[in-house]
Amino acid sequence: MAVIENNVGAYPVSPHANRGGLKAGQSRMGLLLLLPAAIAFSAVILYPFLSALGLSLFEYTVEMMEPRYIGFENFAKIASDPDVWAAFWTTAVYVTLTTLGTLVAGLGWALIMNQPFAGRGVLRSLSLLPWVLPSTVSAFIWGWIFNSRYGVLNAFLMEFGIIDFPRAWLSTPEGAMLAVVLTKIWLSIPLFMSFFLAGLQNLDKEQIDAARVDGAGNWAVLRDHILPHLRPVLIIVVVLGVIGNLQQFDTIYALTGGGPVRATTVLSVEVYRRAFEQWDIGFASAVGVLWVASLLPPAFLYLRMLVKGN
Amino acid sequence: MNCITRLVGTAAIACSLGAGAANAADLSFMSFTYAEEANKAIVQTTLDDFKKAENLAVEPLGFAWGDMQKNIFLRARSKTLPDIAQLSERWLPTFASLDNLVDLNTVYGKDKLEAAFAPDALAMGNINGKQLALPLLSGSIGMVANKEVLAKAGINDAPKTLDEFKAALVAVRDKVPNSVPYTMATKNNGSILIDFMVWNWVHGGRIIDDSGKVVVDSQQSRDALTFMVGLMKDRLAAPEIDRPDGRRLMGQGASAFYFDAPQTRTFLRDFSGKGEAFDVNVLPMPTPVLKAEDKPVSVQWGHLLVQFADGGKAKADDPADKFLTYLTSDKVQTDFPLKMSALPVTKSARDAVAGDAYLKNWSAATGDARRNEVGIWSNAAELTNVIGEEVQGALLGQKSADDAVKSMQARLTASMEKAKKSE
Repeated sequence: MAVIENNVGAYPVSPHANRGGLKAGQSRMGLLLLLPAAIAFSAVILYPFLSALGLSLFEYTVEMMEPRYIGFENFAKIASDPDVWAAFWTTAVYVTLTTLGTLVAGLGWALIMNQPFAGRGVLRSLSLLPWVLPSTVSAFIWGWIFNSRYGVLNAFLMEFGIIDFPRAWLSTPEGAMLAVVLTKIWLSIPLFMSFFLAGLQNLDKEQIDAARVDGAGNWAVLRDHILPHLRPVLIIVVVLGVIGNLQQFDTIYALTGGGPVRATTVLSVEVYRRAFEQWDIGFASAVGVLWVASLLPPAFLYLRMLVKGN
Repeated sequence: MNCITRLVGTAAIACSLGAGAANAADLSFMSFTYAEEANKAIVQTTLDDFKKAENLAVEPLGFAWGDMQKNIFLRARSKTLPDIAQLSERWLPTFASLDNLVDLNTVYGKDKLEAAFAPDALAMGNINGKQLALPLLSGSIGMVANKEVLAKAGINDAPKTLDEFKAALVAVRDKVPNSVPYTMATKNNGSILIDFMVWNWVHGGRIIDDSGKVVVDSQQSRDALTFMVGLMKDRLAAPEIDRPDGRRLMGQGASAFYFDAPQTRTFLRDFSGKGEAFDVNVLPMPTPVLKAEDKPVSVQWGHLLVQFADGGKAKADDPADKFLTYLTSDKVQTDFPLKMSALPVTKSARDAVAGDAYLKNWSAATGDARRNEVGIWSNAAELTNVIGEEVQGALLGQKSADDAVKSMQARLTASMEKAKKSE
């Protein structure tokens, strides 16, 4: 072996040979392929983020021609601003309800779609409809459903004698929150369902059959076999759901505008309102930085799982 | 080499095409009227006529009314402002500090402008002695009634006092099924502000006085808000109503009263589906008063035109200024505002259209309009949000009128102090 190595070392190297070996060429090609995505990322995400990070240290309102450096004053103001804290709380409620709701509904729907029945393929395709529709269109559809004067929900409830007169769902804090949560759940079910369905395809049918032979009911099968099998998918779906729901803006803004009063003002809406309704770019940037900070823990978890190949 | 030649060739063609596109229009005009389906054709005709008259092409940039301020704000930051922009009169103070806003006194001369324009219209574009905007059309925001709905409810005359007004609302509620007797704005802070401001004036209150002191914490303001809350409780007004909802319900015969600008006639023609045949139902009326001897109130309203230029400098023969001159000429002013159901802004055009029955009735009904006491401040957007949130909170039963007024006073005072510091 040693003889061979010595001989290899003695051969003259071609002037056309790659100095870093074959791998170096591959790395350069990899970097080259990465370049368009990196440029796009830098232009539309990194630069605006760094810009917002910088602006969070400035006072910058519509009355000012140039921003004025004020250090961490915007963050100090946030600490004593009850509206921002209320937005954090509203965000927490919204993210918890939508993530849990979508988890349950998506899993339930995936279990149904996993059963063999006539028309399953068509129904599976139709299930993707909410995902295909633009989210603002969905928000307007749900806005009509909840509308106090023309809404389907009121008509339905009155038809069955559940309520006596039309209710203004979007004008109560609870009703408005319910509306934005239901809309987001409806929008997210296809994505969650797809993940769960993919996981269910790998489930060992014989294991389920054996459990049933041993007398396991539906609940026992779900608890002891299906859920443990779907655990990795569940974790990924929860993390992605939390990230997506923390970022949510368009459906909430289109459906309630963050109201009534501030009942559905999550952090994204708060940033928008401060920037484009109150024209306070510095303060809005500071809230935005904290909003991004709230996204970091789930994003870190997700990346960690990806890197570990979980 | 071939590849490089092709790339250079492509780039050259792209540049020439780009330059061609840039030269296609001589000036840009950002307008919310252009974004309104009912009015787009009216604006386009005006632009086409201008091109024929001056051989200058205008690039129209239509944005919804609710998105205009945001777009101007963002374009100011990215230095892509249009040459001319249409503003609501209440937005001007917000943008008054932009350094490329042209003082039009320096372009046309103060004396000439004062000689040509009606004083009330010209005043809307004046801030601290600078003529930062020219009026395009004007009028007031006052109460409008639907005669057909009133007749169904057995009401022959427009109510004059608050008591009569409430009695009329009750009659509509009881005799016109599925109606919202008064489509008071209960959604959208910008719309809520107008309704609250008017009822506050009716009750003798103010929100902010002329010196900038917040004075809303008064018995009059409490009474005004309590009156509005009472309308909600008695189902004489409804939640989830914004100005466009009011227009639609009015056009569909499902509402008897609401506040709007004279432009309402154009919207109602469209929303009723009856066109000009609906005009007979539109009744401009004085806002009901607290006591019979009180003077009815209405809010000054108008659309303005602002010019943006490098360093805020422009000349009368610049394409953008020729466009401004054209829009305020008799040819346009005796036509465009009428199509929009609004008053012209120049003295000569007002004389020429003095016989228009609708506008005459409107002016007679709404009387001397008061200046929007919130819209004149640079932090108007924040003030509007605070007022909207507090009033909405009371209307929806989330807080008492007393708490809402107290909270409004504290939040508005903080906002005014912050704005003074920023100046």
